[in-house]
Amino acid sequence: MSKVFRNPDVLWRRESDTSEGASQEEAVAAILFSGGSMLSLNEFGIELWEMCDGQTVDELVASQLSEFDVDEDVLRSDIQEFLNSLLQKGFIRYE
Amino acid sequence: MSNLQLKAPLTINWAINNSCNFACSHCYSREDTHDELPRDVLYTCIEKVVKAGVFSVNFGGGEPLLHPDLLDIASFSSGLGLRVSMNSNGWLLDHDKAVALKEAGFTKVGISIDSHLPDVHDNFRGVAGSHVRALAALGHLRSAGITTSISTVICRINSSTIDELVALALEHGVGQLNFHNFKCSGLGMSNKDELDLTPEEWKLFYRDAIAAKHTVKNLDISLDDPIIALLDARDAGSLVKGSVCGKLSLNIKANGDMTPCGFIPIVIGNIVKDDLQQVWKDSAVLDKMRNKQPTGKCSGCSKYDDCLGGCTARALALTGDMNSPDPHCWGSDAPAK
Repeated sequence: MSKVFRNPDVLWRRESDTSEGASQEEAVAAILFSGGSMLSLNEFGIELWEMCDGQTVDELVASQLSEFDVDEDVLRSDIQEFLNSLLQKGFIRYE
Repeated sequence: MSNLQLKAPLTINWAINNSCNFACSHCYSREDTHDELPRDVLYTCIEKVVKAGVFSVNFGGGEPLLHPDLLDIASFSSGLGLRVSMNSNGWLLDHDKAVALKEAGFTKVGISIDSHLPDVHDNFRGVAGSHVRALAALGHLRSAGITTSISTVICRINSSTIDELVALALEHGVGQLNFHNFKCSGLGMSNKDELDLTPEEWKLFYRDAIAAKHTVKNLDISLDDPIIALLDARDAGSLVKGSVCGKLSLNIKANGDMTPCGFIPIVIGNIVKDDLQQVWKDSAVLDKMRNKQPTGKCSGCSKYDDCLGGCTARALALTGDMNSPDPHCWGSDAPAK
């Protein structure tokens, strides 16, 4: 199964301050930046982003499954959708 | 997402010098300070910027190639992880300079070209032969492996020549063609009656530019004007609504003074003595820019949530109020239903 890697050209940083009143799901936890393309991530997103270091999608799903009380198929679909958005912007690649 | 508050700018537009070898009709910085930071102080400031979390720095001026330490400054910056780019008129850019820029870590260089016609460009920029050298610069940069772009300030000399400018960009292999809206700052204010378009003319320009953006292949046509929201066009890649100034980017002058953008002459701090994150977080001016309130015809306009009143610099320059509707806006004076 192919592995997921961050594009090394993408600059990213954690945002230490979260907006008051925003839930963890909504709060901006990190910013990705490459050329004119930008993306803000919540805590869930940045956790996945940091795991894009050669792990497979199965491994990403397994790691998150232990953290959330959610159906595996739903989680897999959410993660795949997230990875697709990163791939579309050229922020990750599969090997 | 319109109220996104980052901990620091993503990009700094940094005028490391204000000296220039051109005499452009629209120059915003001719009267700016010519004080420059000593190299060691500048290096300390760059370290502060990196520590704050800034991703990229775009050197401007003035003409950055006139700064004797540009290559060292760029090397220092890129060595700290900053993505380094520059805007230049291209006059001083030959093959050897392009190679040196590449070695110093420049990833992208924008060259100012305001017309496909050499005479028109040269007259606008105030230097005979500048068009030829600007085009040559693009070739040298490309050969050196640096991504190039063309920056064009849209005004009366070029607003009806989109196709020709696109053809020029394609012919010279640039990746991006930036159509910058005309700002009424510096000489841009003095010469606005001669150079600026009417709101209706802006509408026509953007209508055609957006059409070109959708149809032209192998060229990214960039439109950085928030008022294109009136035509239901907006940069989908941006994290914020309205202008990016003071939300994603910040300007630093040659003497270290920080302003929201190069076209807003309000100093909100100095990078030498102030903490960047603190200024970014606490500046009352930035707060006002990030939380604009609709006034006049913006009140009730159905596009306001996307355009947020348009270019703040232009509203401030021409009305004295950041919250005023962008004077380029062609929207109806009557509130939208």
